[in-house]
Amino acid sequence: MNDLLVKDLRKTFRLSRKQRRIDRTKERRKVAVDGLSFTARRGEIYGLLGPNGAGKTTTLRCIATLISPDEGDVRVDGKSVLTDSLEVRQYISFLTSELKLDDFFTPNYLFDYFSRLHGVDAATRKKRKKDLFKRFGIDRFAEVKVADLSSGMKQKTSLAISLVHDPDFIVFDEPTNGLDVLTARTVTDYLLEMREAGKAIILSTHILSVVEKMCDRVGIIIDGRLQAEGTLDEVRRTDADANLENVFFQLVEQSEVAAA
Amino acid sequence: MKNLWVIFKKEIYRVVTDKRLVLGVFILPGLSIFLIYTIIGTAIGGQMDEEQAHVPTLYVENLPGEVEAHLDAHMDYTLQEGTIEEEALREKIREEELDLAVIFPEDFAERIDSREGIPEATVFYNQGSNHSSNAYNNFNQAMGAYHENIIMDRLDDPSDYHPYELGTVNLVDERNVVAQGFAMLMPMLIIIFLFVGVMNIGPDAIAGEKERGTIATLLVTPTRRTEIALGKVLSIALLSFASALSSFIGILLSLPQLMQFDDTLPDISIYGIGDFAVLLLVLIITVFFIVALVSIISTYAKSVKEATTLIMPFYFIAMIIGIMNSFGTDVNQSLLAHLAPIYGPINLLAGILTFEYSLVNFFATVLSTLVYTSLFVVLLNRMFSDERIMFTR
Ligand SMILES: Nc1ncnc2c1ncn2[C@@H]1O[C@H](COP(=O)(O)OP(=O)(O)O)[C@@H](O)[C@H]1O
Ligand SMILES: [Mg+2]
Repeated sequence: MNDLLVKDLRKTFRLSRKQRRIDRTKERRKVAVDGLSFTARRGEIYGLLGPNGAGKTTTLRCIATLISPDEGDVRVDGKSVLTDSLEVRQYISFLTSELKLDDFFTPNYLFDYFSRLHGVDAATRKKRKKDLFKRFGIDRFAEVKVADLSSGMKQKTSLAISLVHDPDFIVFDEPTNGLDVLTARTVTDYLLEMREAGKAIILSTHILSVVEKMCDRVGIIIDGRLQAEGTLDEVRRTDADANLENVFFQLVEQSEVAAA
Repeated sequence: MKNLWVIFKKEIYRVVTDKRLVLGVFILPGLSIFLIYTIIGTAIGGQMDEEQAHVPTLYVENLPGEVEAHLDAHMDYTLQEGTIEEEALREKIREEELDLAVIFPEDFAERIDSREGIPEATVFYNQGSNHSSNAYNNFNQAMGAYHENIIMDRLDDPSDYHPYELGTVNLVDERNVVAQGFAMLMPMLIIIFLFVGVMNIGPDAIAGEKERGTIATLLVTPTRRTEIALGKVLSIALLSFASALSSFIGILLSLPQLMQFDDTLPDISIYGIGDFAVLLLVLIITVFFIVALVSIISTYAKSVKEATTLIMPFYFIAMIIGIMNSFGTDVNQSLLAHLAPIYGPINLLAGILTFEYSLVNFFATVLSTLVYTSLFVVLLNRMFSDERIMFTR
């Protein structure tokens, strides 16, 4: 009941004529996610590993209630994205590089603004802001407009702002993508700490080392389907050398053969 | 619905703390309108003063004494000395060195007295020159008076010349003259200013957020789509109303300059508090209507540029309706005309300004506009919940 449950998730997109031309397909609908099921538990980092176009972002967007599934459901602490999207958004934090902050405002203003939208009371907000800003080194830039921040500082501000409500579920699309080494390190350290604090974390990535360094359990997603799932060790063990890279490439090859 | 207020405040704060926007949205509209109309007014006024101050130069050959007396009574002028050949005369009038030339035959007055044939005088003037045309008109009036005198002399009984008397009594209500003027101009200006005000704010607040990717950040917070839609609509309405107000202040301040060529300065005090209250109410519902329309377009569009382009046709339609109304003589009092979007409010505004509106028409416009606006807001709400509109790739 306390977990984040993805059940038989299916999502298709209507393709515009332009998209059909780009994708060289005659199909009018693209199946982005095809019957996906997995569970992310508290105190655990679940990694959704897959190549580009596998359906990772689509899955995470369904969890974040930004888009709604054609079939299946996502339950966050028992609340369904289909019927209780407001509560779901209250419980989770969703982070992707597509969620931008308005250049005009300062981190300080934005933190307060999003805290209010989440209904965080003033005292909690102040304390949380102080902690998070200090932790990510934003404090010195608190009154600098987002437009004038470095890209690393922008990312860290986005991260801090996605955590204004101290959510129990953290959903993170390609967490270290496009970050410099130092910022990436700050982010991964923070996620590990959140795991210790008992939060459920789902992250998507196409980078094997991210999974190997951080994840407790992993689901390998290819063409919208989950091809393998288990703890990192369980998945590794399917290969003779216990090498995740080998497992991954074999699965990709298999699905290419199946598709051909 | 608490987040509606949070969003509303942030939208207002966003605009009023941005110097560039404050300048572009609240100061420049009023200032530019004030400057443009003041310059136009001053230019027109200056031209009129100059024309009035100008004393035309006349060249007259053989000016009969009686004609001179009439000329003196009708206009100021200076006479050109000396004799000028006709060719040179034509040239001087063309070049505007002379304003008017009249050549009377030597025996003009005598032949009129003795009634020997019809003496012929020739007038040279230049219609392309304002000074010359004015001099010609004044000269004609003087000659008209002279002509009348001659006829009177020739009649046995001078009263034959006046077979009847015509008395005229002008019962004009000054208030109505002013009101007509207002009703002609204001509804059009009001609609244009309101539209421009909304276009200053709306596309950036919605399409801009989509374009910059900041709307998604808002969509993942526990905020109802209705709260976002309404927060946007309400804040855009307030800000664009302020922007339109800037234009109104600009035009009010420039009125004295603009109207200086007219003796009757429009006096707003012909309207009472009640009129202003009704006017304000109509303005407010009209703003909401335009805001809802522009919001829908801005939500549909993927970028500010696209939104602005898509709004243009609606702006032009509104403008054309406004202009058509200014040329119409009477307010269209039909109920149907008051139910139409845009056209209804324009008609009602004209009606209010001329003190000729019925309660039925008032409610027809107010209620129908509210209904259209509500439908738009419902649609807007749907659009905010539609992932294909909010997340297009
Ligand atoms: N809005 C959309 N319209 C059409 N196709 C889409 C849309 N979003 C994603 N897709 C398609 O769905 C598939 C999965 O995309 P995505 O979830 O972004 O993959 P990933 O994040 O794993 O790289 C891709 O083929 C992509 O082109
Ligand atoms: Mg992706």
